[in-house]
Amino acid sequence: MNLPQIVKAEMPLASIQHLSFRVRQARYALPIELVREIIEYGQITTVPMMPAFIHGVINLRGNVVPVLDLAARFGFELTEPGKRTCIVIIELELDDQQQRIGLVVDAVDAVLDIDSSEVEPAPPFGAGIRTDFIAGMARDERGFTIILDVRRVLSLDDIRQLSLAQQAS
Amino acid sequence: MLNGDQWSQLLQGFIEEASDLIKQAEEYLLQLDQTPDDEDAINGLFRAMHTLKGSAGLFSLTPLVSFTHHLESLLMAVRDGQRTLTPPLVSLMLRCLDEVASMVSLIDVDSGELPVDETHQNELLAALAEHSGQAVEQIPATQVAAPSACPNRGRLEKCANCDADGAWHISLRFHPDLFRNGFDPAAFIRYLSRLGDILHLDVIDASLPSFSEMDPESCYLGLEIDLCTDASKAEIEEVFEFIHDFSTLRILPPNSALEDYLQLIHELPETDQRVGRILVASGLLTEHELEQGLALQAQASEQKPQLGSVLVEEGMVAPQAVNAALAKQQSAREKRSLESSQIRVAAHKLDELINLVGELVISAAGAQLRAQSHGDAGCVETTQTVNQHVELIREAALKLRMIEIGDTFNRFHRVVRDVSQQLGKNIRLEIRGADTELDKSVIDKLADPLTHLVRNAIDHGIESAEDRLAAGKPAEGQLQLNAYHESGQIVIEVADDGRGLNTERIRQKAIDRGLIDPQANLAEHDIHALIFAAGFSTADNVSDLSGRGVGMDVVRSVIDGLRGSIEIDSVLGAGCTFRIRLPLTLAIIDGFLISLGEEYFVVPLDMVTECLEMDAGQLGDSAYGYLNLRGKPLPCISLAAHFDLPASRSKRRNIVVVNQGRQQAGLVVDNLHGELQTVIKPLGLLFQHLQGIGGSTILGNGQVALILDIPSLFRHLQNHVEASAGDLRQPRMDISGF
Repeated sequence: MNLPQIVKAEMPLASIQHLSFRVRQARYALPIELVREIIEYGQITTVPMMPAFIHGVINLRGNVVPVLDLAARFGFELTEPGKRTCIVIIELELDDQQQRIGLVVDAVDAVLDIDSSEVEPAPPFGAGIRTDFIAGMARDERGFTIILDVRRVLSLDDIRQLSLAQQAS
Repeated sequence: MLNGDQWSQLLQGFIEEASDLIKQAEEYLLQLDQTPDDEDAINGLFRAMHTLKGSAGLFSLTPLVSFTHHLESLLMAVRDGQRTLTPPLVSLMLRCLDEVASMVSLIDVDSGELPVDETHQNELLAALAEHSGQAVEQIPATQVAAPSACPNRGRLEKCANCDADGAWHISLRFHPDLFRNGFDPAAFIRYLSRLGDILHLDVIDASLPSFSEMDPESCYLGLEIDLCTDASKAEIEEVFEFIHDFSTLRILPPNSALEDYLQLIHELPETDQRVGRILVASGLLTEHELEQGLALQAQASEQKPQLGSVLVEEGMVAPQAVNAALAKQQSAREKRSLESSQIRVAAHKLDELINLVGELVISAAGAQLRAQSHGDAGCVETTQTVNQHVELIREAALKLRMIEIGDTFNRFHRVVRDVSQQLGKNIRLEIRGADTELDKSVIDKLADPLTHLVRNAIDHGIESAEDRLAAGKPAEGQLQLNAYHESGQIVIEVADDGRGLNTERIRQKAIDRGLIDPQANLAEHDIHALIFAAGFSTADNVSDLSGRGVGMDVVRSVIDGLRGSIEIDSVLGAGCTFRIRLPLTLAIIDGFLISLGEEYFVVPLDMVTECLEMDAGQLGDSAYGYLNLRGKPLPCISLAAHFDLPASRSKRRNIVVVNQGRQQAGLVVDNLHGELQTVIKPLGLLFQHLQGIGGSTILGNGQVALILDIPSLFRHLQNHVEASAGDLRQPRMDISGF
């Protein structure tokens, strides 16, 4: 009786590859299908009158790509670029348009196979960042990796309101 | 066989062609509305409908074919003079064209199907039929060949009455499918009779089968016609243009050589004797000539088979016919060559080219930078030459996308006609500067806001005829669309001579809506600008045309999106002008590079009027202030302070004076770096609400520089500064009030 159900439940659970990285001391991960490339932290042009976490724009082989500071988005201080600071370029659809965005992270760790059976829902508080940014917590031998809900982190409405507030001040 | 993709590509081509044809047809119709007798327009209209029907047939779009067929029949009747185009008929035809356009838009490109709801079409067709019925009663068919008023009928000599040398001989053999394609040969003969007198007309029924074998839908007939006219051969051919595919046409000019007639007799499918007798009967040949000729031909064909064709070459066409035909052909060829010198190119290919040119501009700038830092004089010189060429290429590439605004303007003839009729107003549309060129992507986006402004002007701006007369104005209202260049920008004006904006009512409405403070002391100009606020409408009664208050803010946002601006000039009782200023292009501009500390910015060069040096102490540390520029106060803004960038440490600073419409301001910057070809890169969604910055570009060294959007910067400054200065102003007003 239960057999077909179990099979059905496990079918979509095939492990998904994630890119894990560090922001401050915590470990985070993103589905690797979103990631286009990882580049060295380099010349960033500041865009004025934007919220602090919008670092600016970079020239990615002739395309102008906005760069977000994940730490600042999570509410920490702006990143002081170090030796291992990187920009992770992701591509996703926002408002029906393909958009490339760079995320500043402190270090890139590895590519993880995360089995969805090992993903726990986010705790209501205590993860260090806004709960709605968290898609799930992946458990492994070293502890938990926070899987980010990129759409929430990059919510245009959110960013719009913040930038309007910034311009009005 | 074609595969699905190719088929839908073809269909896509048809849809484009059809839209063009519909547009043409509409223009012709509107032209006929003004001058109902314009034959060129009638023919053009007919041709457009005919082509549309034919192409639709290729794709088996049956509903479209049958609908256009009705229009075509009606036009055929108009063409041969049985019916005239009255204004109500023109209106009806316009509605039918709309129906055709909507049918074309319904075509499913993938499946090639055309799902149609036929009720609307049937209504229109019923209206057409009703109309045709009336028209027939009103206008008796008078044009049917009045048999030869010419006394020289049937003679070979020069016809004294009608300037023509003898008669043309036309032999026409119809294709069996003629009727199935919806043509009535009689209509063509009626039309032919407008060219001149039909002296003689014989019906050839030789191929008519026995009654039991006859298919009533097939055409078995042929015609032998003698026509007395001074028209050229080409003109006669044109009469039968539309049945070209369904008939065989042979035309002999007057006074052709005997051999030509013999050749004709020989070529026609009927027996030589029969055709010969017709020619004799019509007086083109004598009995004797015919006999002699036939004998001669028999002889000739035995001895020298080519003789006939040589003779044809020598004497085929009479000299006066040659001249006329040549002149006619020449003009036709010129027209065609003008048409064929245009090439249709897919827009995305142009975009690709312009993108590549953009990359080229950036890399060329990089190369020049390298060369300069290297210091090799030869290298610097070469890169400079390269850069000059790149600049030329850039200009040429951008010109490719420029199209005239006239097409967009002309569309408004229809809008004005429809809307003014609906409202019972008499309005004339005047168009100026139709040849002004503008980037295609800009023109496409401009159509909607322009329509809105035009509708508004007709609905709210221009008064009814009685009101106009009472106000001492001519009863006919005037609407003007105007386009011209001004300091590197395109200006488009929508002007009416109506009642103008009612400043007091706008002010009252704005207070009611809570948009402004009741005590605010606004200049007239500022009050007018309030109509661009969202949800603002002053029309007391909402009509289905305008007045819902959802338009003007949309107009504003579209213009903003095009990096343009809009202003209003209104005089109460005398009229109102909306003036839209737009950049010439959206892709690459001439920029002026400045820097603030480490950050680079580009100011569109068109906006820059001059640069001044500034003493460090002049403005102090404040972000905003003013300077004395040749006796006038020049408002200044320190960009670094405005953008919250680190304060400048450099002692010598510069002021870039920028100009936008009537406003002028100085931007305080650190360094000037001169002109720069600026490839505009969009900043993307994250920055779409950023005011004062319109895009970005990549400098030769790979760094990204931001492009200032001066109009939006000005607007932002005004709101921003007024908001913060409002607190200061308010008490002062109170005091003066007491």
